[in-house]
Amino acid sequence: MISKGEDPGDVRTDVPYQLITILSNLYPWMTDGKKIAVVTRKCDEKALAEFFKRGYFARDRVIQIGLACNREQIRQCRCSDPVPSVVDIGEPHGGLDTDALSEKLMAMSSEERLRFWEYQFRKCNKCFACTTNCPVCFCDECVLEERTFVPERGVPPGMSFHMIRAYHLSDKCIECGECERSCPAGIPLLTLRKLVARDFKEMYGFSPGDEKTVSPLLTTLEGESLDGDECDEC
Amino acid sequence: MEMNAMNVKHVLTTCPYCGTGCNFYLQVVEDKLISVVPCKTDEISRGQLCIKGYNAHAFVQHPDRLKTPLAREHGELRQISWEDALDRLAKEIRRIKEKYGPDSIAFLASAKCTNEENYLFQKLARAVVHTNNVDHCARLCHASTVTGLLYSFGSGAMTNTIPEFGDADFILITGSNTLEAHPIIGSHMLRALDKGAKIVVVDPRDTPLSRLAHIRLSQKPGSDIAWINGMIKVIIDEGLVNEEFVRTRTSEFDKLKEVVMGYTLEMVESIAGVKGKDLSKAARLYAKADRAMVAYAMGVTQHSNGTDIVMALANLAMVTGHLGKESTGLNPLRGQCNVQGSCDSGGLPNLFPGYQRVDDEQVRAKFEQAWGVELPEKPGLTLTCAIKEAALGKLKAMIVFGENVMLSDPDLTHVEEALKELELLAVVDIFPTETTKLAHIVLPAACYAEKDGTFTNTDRAVRLLRKAVDPPGEAMPDWKIACELAKRLGAKGFDFSSPAEIMDEMAKVTPIYGGIDHGRIDRELIRWPCPTKEHKGTRILHAQKFTKGLGTFAPVHHSPPAESPSEEYPFILTTGRNLFQYHTGTMTRRSPKLEREAPEPYAEVNNGDAKRLGISEGDRIMVSSKRGSITLLARVTERIIPGSVFIPFHYAEAAANRLTNAALDPVSKIPELKVCAARIQKG
Repeated sequence: MISKGEDPGDVRTDVPYQLITILSNLYPWMTDGKKIAVVTRKCDEKALAEFFKRGYFARDRVIQIGLACNREQIRQCRCSDPVPSVVDIGEPHGGLDTDALSEKLMAMSSEERLRFWEYQFRKCNKCFACTTNCPVCFCDECVLEERTFVPERGVPPGMSFHMIRAYHLSDKCIECGECERSCPAGIPLLTLRKLVARDFKEMYGFSPGDEKTVSPLLTTLEGESLDGDECDEC
Repeated sequence: MEMNAMNVKHVLTTCPYCGTGCNFYLQVVEDKLISVVPCKTDEISRGQLCIKGYNAHAFVQHPDRLKTPLAREHGELRQISWEDALDRLAKEIRRIKEKYGPDSIAFLASAKCTNEENYLFQKLARAVVHTNNVDHCARLCHASTVTGLLYSFGSGAMTNTIPEFGDADFILITGSNTLEAHPIIGSHMLRALDKGAKIVVVDPRDTPLSRLAHIRLSQKPGSDIAWINGMIKVIIDEGLVNEEFVRTRTSEFDKLKEVVMGYTLEMVESIAGVKGKDLSKAARLYAKADRAMVAYAMGVTQHSNGTDIVMALANLAMVTGHLGKESTGLNPLRGQCNVQGSCDSGGLPNLFPGYQRVDDEQVRAKFEQAWGVELPEKPGLTLTCAIKEAALGKLKAMIVFGENVMLSDPDLTHVEEALKELELLAVVDIFPTETTKLAHIVLPAACYAEKDGTFTNTDRAVRLLRKAVDPPGEAMPDWKIACELAKRLGAKGFDFSSPAEIMDEMAKVTPIYGGIDHGRIDRELIRWPCPTKEHKGTRILHAQKFTKGLGTFAPVHHSPPAESPSEEYPFILTTGRNLFQYHTGTMTRRSPKLEREAPEPYAEVNNGDAKRLGISEGDRIMVSSKRGSITLLARVTERIIPGSVFIPFHYAEAAANRLTNAALDPVSKIPELKVCAARIQKG
């Protein structure tokens, strides 16, 4: 047992794994109803919030042990928001304001930017690491595994693969960067995510990872009629 | 990591697919494999995997797994007990050995089994049955690398290591579809590309990597020596030879010079269809680079002059001196998780473990002393020759550990006839296969996730397998099966209680593995040669001198493939893999996410050829050679040069190897799987 303020000894708290992804693999098997303690960095905390919001994890079963990342980890992750709401382990350090590659890309003409991403996506080898390791990729049926959008056998799978993923995650990506770290092709997927998140925040004033806010992409119909003046051609 | 509340394990082990040897964690809950988690502290995979790696858990607990021994009775395979199965097998081996002699029996070792198991298979053949007839599927993939590089350098393995690709400033890739067949090696190459390295791909097919290359040369299948010699001539003509390296480290340069001088750019273009300008540019880039690596695979080796092509590449590397240093070298990418190791462990008819020759008296005396038996001196039959001998009725029994020859070998109609001639065909495998259908006895084996042991990857790193789950039913690890069989044949020296003990014995008789034991490789990454416990292993071969002393230039000439296109069979058929399937598909076709990506056999046909023949994308076509016909879907593409057709060999329902030619390289006996003459008809 370790109490707050005690030296955890040999227990490593810098394990570079996406713990929420591992937890979500295991969660369906955890049927005994017991509590689950998870060391949570800020990104993990945000990922958990996305799970709780959708009812995928029972909120009262998960005990979060807040971990503040050190400066080196923050630098490596290009993290803008590293401090968990409660810090149990580590010293809090502030996040980075800018992402060098994002700035560089936004300074390019749109043609140059397109060429940059075309080159990056041509390296894609369709390993699905970006979805497999993503903590908030939790759909039962994945649109990227459907032939309508992503042809079978195609390597590289084409730009639509990445665009579908970018938009699909726009209201839940918590910028942990696991997709980028696990990409064998070295595609700067975290930067892509950051750029989408920036637009999303500007357009909708919404950032994922907060349990209390509801995605603007979700619409709640309460007592309203479904009839309307929408297109009735199809 | 273990929890008390529910039984969760993360077991670090080695991937069972290609020869890259990525490590990953198998995620196990209550004895069920649920997922694969990449290992971020692994120097080779760096927390990254390909789609096959991420799905490496999917086939393990598949309901089709073989769970009990089977024996053929009245034409049907029926369940029998282990006791009965092993007794019958031992009795048959004894009967056949007495009646026809030990050389009427052949063992096939397996590039899918561990080093420890392969060590036992060859010990079983040599020390118990007294035959050197032991071989495995390396014969079909890199046999010509072993023979070619042994001649040129003295060691038939990758000279450098996988991570070094990432720091190269030039990479020449030929006959390797690296991003599909060795994706994580490809990822190290992409890292170099991102940093500004120049990449040249020489391949008749357009591959995901060639599309990213700076220079792409599409040679005609079977013309490799022409372009390689042409490239060497450019290097000599332009004064780019590394004179000091050639003078101090090699011999026979004059003989090489004489031969390559005939390979003018015009001549190369006429044979290989490669533009002189591009070839010279590639030659200059290679010769002038600081850290230049060459990688190759089956496109080079699977030819009836495969040994010569490998030696031609060795010549190219030696002329430039790009050897023996960081991010240089000549690097055969080996295709199976343990094909390097199964060669290292002596699963070869002419070599004991550690590439020690069976016809060398001193070596044999050493093994006779170690094993306490007399050993046969005559090198045994290769896999390809064993099939031919079986067809002639000279070989009577084959004991096959984990190979599916009825899909992987060339000219399957002939293979089938040969296997049907055998008095005994015993197959040890994890799933029913095209080969078990013909077997008299079938034994159920444990797969990679169900046992301990080691695989040696393509860069000579000896990597641990750690048991994650129990085998299904009565299935047993191959090493136990080999021990049980040996005991029933009256042998001593098979009382092992663990793979670690087997490795200890192997290390004693195998100098390149001398310092290797399971305890050490549990803690550190070691690449052979590692002669002693204090030795750290060897990342780069041939650093101060070649394994054989001086490197030898082999003057080799272009020769046409064994079968050239004719009026009746006007196309060149070439075969290979795709990203999502693996070899004969026994594992990948039972992994839903992989099968979903590439569920059907297909042939890639050039769009110009397709138009001429009235074939559209998705049409059913019949592809035939002198040996057979198969029907499959047409993929019309620019990605293959006109006059050639590509078919992946994974699919039993349209087996490419019904068509391929079993013409053999005279030195290495590798078959010409990459070229045969074929005809295409709309279906």
